[in-house]
Amino acid sequence: MPEKLVLTEDEALELLSFLVMAARTMVGEPNEYAPLRLLTAAGRLSDFIVERVTPETRVLLSGPLKQIPQTATRMADADGYAKQLDAVCAAVAQHLVRHFGLERGIR
Amino acid sequence: MSSNPVLEAIRTRRVVRALTDEPVGRAQLEDILKAGRWAPSGGNRRLHRYVAVHDPLTLRLLRMVSPGMLQKPQAIVLICIDWQRVGAYGLSSTSTGLYVDVGTAAQTMLLAAHSLGLASGIVTSFPKAGVRAVLNLPAQLSPELFVCLGHAAPGGPAPMRTWGKITWQSLVDWERFPGTPSAAPEPAQAESERL
Ligand SMILES: Cc1cc2nc3c(=O)[nH]c(=O)nc-3n(C[C@H](O)[C@H](O)[C@H](O)COP(=O)(O)O)c2cc1C
Repeated sequence: MPEKLVLTEDEALELLSFLVMAARTMVGEPNEYAPLRLLTAAGRLSDFIVERVTPETRVLLSGPLKQIPQTATRMADADGYAKQLDAVCAAVAQHLVRHFGLERGIR
Repeated sequence: MSSNPVLEAIRTRRVVRALTDEPVGRAQLEDILKAGRWAPSGGNRRLHRYVAVHDPLTLRLLRMVSPGMLQKPQAIVLICIDWQRVGAYGLSSTSTGLYVDVGTAAQTMLLAAHSLGLASGIVTSFPKAGVRAVLNLPAQLSPELFVCLGHAAPGGPAPMRTWGKITWQSLVDWERFPGTPSAAPEPAQAESERL
């Protein structure tokens, strides 16, 4: 598969800024905000790239990655939240296996 | 629906995190700022300054430095503490009143926005250094809280869920607590804070 760029410099800078700023705010914020911030970053990255990625990746971005509401934290339901995250992690990892051709033994 | 419009406005105001790209008019923004002027303020000292922003690029950069800003606001009022005035007044920098005043101003402006048919939200999750650099804030102003403004869009993130059902009764105790007095130490409070 040919390599192609899916982020503009403006988009990359926005994301970089978000991550750096979140590192600072998380020093003083409740721990439960940490996953929320990372998921917000993932959501923004996903919104930036969704129109430029392969159809298969688009399915991942518009399906499993959208499952967790942007305001969800573990406070209301810690077990349910962890399960939701597990499902998204599994979906991302399964997509990696297919995208990088691991099941076909491609290295 | 309550027949009391103030109570109804308090009850129906919600933080809105999905906004359209319709701009907020200058007149509406000014009405919200005027309402902020009438917020209660400890000792009527007015040690806060508001920075109003509706330039689209500045708004975009403020969002880039504010991880807690899920919405894309069309206008922002930033509530700042003016530390020069705090010092000139001789108030302790740990005075809780300074932060209470941030809250009273914020809620007053949120309700004003709601009454004008605008959607609003609070954001405090931002590093002050980032906001300071974007707005070129003078050293004596510390950025404390954004009141984000715009027009509500359909959809958007669900409200933040709490740890259980909250009713007004679950938040309230009545009169004096029974039992033996607790030995919990009172947090230190500066003389100047008692108002
Ligand atoms: C001090 C304070 C800081 C807040 N910071 C943020 C924030 O950074 N981002 C955000 O989306 N909401 C923020 N909020 C909004 C709260 O999440 C919101 O008020 C709460 O979930 C209750 O929702 P409601 O106001 O719609 O009833 C903040 C609220 C307060 C009072």
